[in-house]
Amino acid sequence: MWLVLLKELKELVRDKKTLFFMIAVPILVMPAFAGIAIYFAQNAATEAQNKVLNYALIGAEYAPEIDTKLLQLKGFNRIEIDPKADYKKLIQDNTVDFVLEIPANYSNDILQTGQALLKLHLNDSGLNRVFYRVNEIVDEQVKKLREIAFKKLNLSEKQSVAVLKPIILEKINTANTRENWGEKIGGLIPYFIFILCLQGAMFPAADLGAGEKERGTLETLLISPIERYKIVLGKFLTIAFAGLTSALITVSSMALWGVILSQGLAIQFVVTFMSSIGAVDFILMFLMLVPVVAIFASILLSLSIYAKSYKEAQSYMGTLMMLLFIPIFLAMAPGVELKGAWAWVPLTNVALAIKELIKGTMDYFQLIAIFGSTALIAVGLLAFCVNWFNKEKVLFR
Amino acid sequence: MIEIKNLAKKFVVENPKKLSEQEKKDPRLKGRYFHSVLDVTFTVEKGQVLGLLGPNGAGKTTTLRMLSTALQPNHGSVYINEVNVLEDPLIARQKIGFLSGTTGLYGRLTGRENIEYFGQLHGMNKLQIENRIEELSALLEMETFLDRRSENFSTGMKQKTSIARAVIHNPEVVILDEPTTGLDIMATQTVLDFIRGLKNKGIPVIFSTHHLGEVEELCDRVTVIDNGVSQFDGSVDEFRGQAQNQNLHAAFLATIQQGEQ
Repeated sequence: MWLVLLKELKELVRDKKTLFFMIAVPILVMPAFAGIAIYFAQNAATEAQNKVLNYALIGAEYAPEIDTKLLQLKGFNRIEIDPKADYKKLIQDNTVDFVLEIPANYSNDILQTGQALLKLHLNDSGLNRVFYRVNEIVDEQVKKLREIAFKKLNLSEKQSVAVLKPIILEKINTANTRENWGEKIGGLIPYFIFILCLQGAMFPAADLGAGEKERGTLETLLISPIERYKIVLGKFLTIAFAGLTSALITVSSMALWGVILSQGLAIQFVVTFMSSIGAVDFILMFLMLVPVVAIFASILLSLSIYAKSYKEAQSYMGTLMMLLFIPIFLAMAPGVELKGAWAWVPLTNVALAIKELIKGTMDYFQLIAIFGSTALIAVGLLAFCVNWFNKEKVLFR
Repeated sequence: MIEIKNLAKKFVVENPKKLSEQEKKDPRLKGRYFHSVLDVTFTVEKGQVLGLLGPNGAGKTTTLRMLSTALQPNHGSVYINEVNVLEDPLIARQKIGFLSGTTGLYGRLTGRENIEYFGQLHGMNKLQIENRIEELSALLEMETFLDRRSENFSTGMKQKTSIARAVIHNPEVVILDEPTTGLDIMATQTVLDFIRGLKNKGIPVIFSTHHLGEVEELCDRVTVIDNGVSQFDGSVDEFRGQAQNQNLHAAFLATIQQGEQ
């Protein structure tokens, strides 16, 4: 078994394609893509914020303060239009970026005229900051109008605050930062880890089964004086190793690049959140992954041995990946918790357990039961794989 | 000594609708089973080379696969130096050196590493493997490419490495499925010389081939398989007698025709 494992590992580290997907993609390519995406998003946001907006103001005479403010600000350029024009068409033609309509009942004395409805015509699809930038100006005006009204009503500052917000509902959260963030992002983490484990194991799995058939090395291996179960175990361990390594590299890489890219603000959050999770919980999360990877490795190896060619194996594995999304997605669905029947749904229960571990609310006895049941499934699938490897109709299809 | 008696093997036809018209007419197709080998019997004594002949699809490869323990026969017996191959496959595998017709190498390993791996699987120690590789490398003229990765080997280099891999453990019997197919004249001669060397050492050799010249040059015995049945089993001279002592080509055609009648 160890001979098979060592030989497979030697081949694995010499395979540029596998190494690329197992190491280069998680370390460099994925963060590079993320970096490029962030760079373009930031550039687009800055551009939207600094863009000089062409605008038309209808009813400017009713709100001279807004009119003056818009004329004073650098990022706005007034365009005169016919008030009866088709605003939508003007925005479509890029004649203006927005049209602000001020109603005739607008006045500084809101106690007399009541609420005013300002209409902002804009094309809000895509990344633009039009609403945000106009709203800043309007908000400033809202504050001024409130102050005028409160003065007229002879309200003290305390009364003014009470009028604005007569009742405050204060939230006193019993959940700590870890539980809070664990609930929010805890479902996503097992999803990523599972997919990465599977992806890292897929390429070696296709090579170790179907690849052997395609190359014509399987028959020679079958007639060597080694029990078939040892061949299967050697191959199984190689695939499981690849899956776990890929996941570990990816998670470490994501954490490292996350810290590098976040620069400052997010570091504190990351540090606070990560330091609240104990080493024991990290070890338990890793241990929970072991039977999951064993399940993946057994299924992938069985599919690969059955396939006639590398290509056929990859098509089976693509379908498998789609099927595996189901239990993982279930763990992220609202209302799905590690209770009742959900605790017995394979893979979903592990994903939920990892989420609970991240939150720090895991019942460790339940964890043992989940580990046991998952390990049992893994052993069953491995036994199936060994049996599968003994079938002539599978080996000589 | 290799003894094969009344060997038979059938396969389940997974999808009968996908069979070609010619395959549907094959007399070996019975219901959902295809009887690839119906009845094959032959013996190879110590130091003999047996040429296994037959048209494509006759059942030669299936027979050799059963002999090598890759496939389990449905009927019959196989003995290698008195070891029952069906009862003790692991012991039998220690005694067999088998080169399959579709043999390949691990491309990311060097020629030497490919051979070493199978030496290790046969339980040989490092020194034994090293010495044996040196010996085989000289015999098969592999010195120039032995330490290169095998992914870029020519057909001849691959075949020589595969042969070396098959016999790394000094097997008691050697089975070669079309060992010279696709090889150039020089490489073919090296392989044939190697087989002759095995014969001189007293090792029984079975090799299937379509080249009757190789049979003439090397073989002591001939077995012709057609439609899963051994149609002829005897010495090369007896085989020649099948066509009134003409050449082996005529003898082969006469044997196949007799079988069809």
